[in-house]
Amino acid sequence: MAPDYDVEFIDRGDRDREARFLVRDVSPAFANGIRRAMIADVPTLSIDEVRVIENSSVMFDEQIALRLGLVPLTTPDDYEIGETVTLALDVEGPGTAYSGDLVSTDDRVEPADKNVPIIDLKDPEGSETPQRLEVEADAVYDVGREHAKHQGGVAVGYRHLQTVEIVGDADEYGDDDPHILRGVIEEDGELIPTEEFDHDLTQRYPGKEVEVHDVPNAFVFHVETDGSMSVDELVTQAVDTIHGRASELKDAVQL
Amino acid sequence: MSYKCSRCKRDVELDEYGGVRCPYCGHRVLLKERSRDVKEVDVN
Amino acid sequence: MMVPVRCFTCGNVVGEHWEEFKARTQDGEDPEMVLDELGVERHCCRRMLVSHKDLVDIVAPYQ
Repeated sequence: MAPDYDVEFIDRGDRDREARFLVRDVSPAFANGIRRAMIADVPTLSIDEVRVIENSSVMFDEQIALRLGLVPLTTPDDYEIGETVTLALDVEGPGTAYSGDLVSTDDRVEPADKNVPIIDLKDPEGSETPQRLEVEADAVYDVGREHAKHQGGVAVGYRHLQTVEIVGDADEYGDDDPHILRGVIEEDGELIPTEEFDHDLTQRYPGKEVEVHDVPNAFVFHVETDGSMSVDELVTQAVDTIHGRASELKDAVQL
Repeated sequence: MSYKCSRCKRDVELDEYGGVRCPYCGHRVLLKERSRDVKEVDVN
Repeated sequence: MMVPVRCFTCGNVVGEHWEEFKARTQDGEDPEMVLDELGVERHCCRRMLVSHKDLVDIVAPYQ
């Protein structure tokens, strides 16, 4: 039933947070389905409720809570939707409270980025105590459709794979304007990211007139994650959610 | 309710008759102290 | 006030790079090069750092 599709990596960024890969033989609808699932349907942990025990900083409790909510947390895949983890933060000035100061009850859950400044705490002159921030927070496991802070995928998108056809020679006295193309082109079965020729087709095919065509049903995905999981996990979980929904539909209509 | 005088920084208790005034230095600007309760905030 | 944790447009975490960006640009490095080296690629994320001003020191005395 599943059509033969093919996945090929073009490049992988550092720290498993970024990747570009080509998927062949999927319909445009399915490609978009994967993209949407990566953004909205893959659950991540994110701080959702904050109990402020002490906050003598210059920012309001709600502002601090919002900032904490946006910090990506590494997310193990054995959580259930709605499950929570408790984290705590206790920092006294003078100094800065960082995301890395968050301590969690589950040691697999920790801030993915540790140098995000939450709030700068001062020790004001004339005050007997320095500023202090002490909070307890519940991170909840939920999907990106509920709140953008739960989105695991960042800047997820795709382009058609393209081919360049040489149709003749360029006008000898024509303007030598660049012919900009961004993405990945296929030439004799070889995949060439346009970065290789500075996104300018006139550099790769000097003196030629070219036409660019889309390769049908071949999509180049660009996926970045916020650090809560690796690109591999994000993509496979996104496909799993589509699979889950398809089988749910199948059961519902009793085919 | 506990307030703090903004001039002499002493704790002030307000009663019905005294008006808004620090009983120690007579200053009329009082600051309300943050409650010691734990405050729950929803992130959204 | 404080650096935004994420880019308003794409949601990439930019707060992570703020302190290094600030330190290096104050040492006279070219912000363009610093952003490239930090891996802040998109112009939506770059503007978050380039246009940011820390205000905590300015408001702190009025607490």
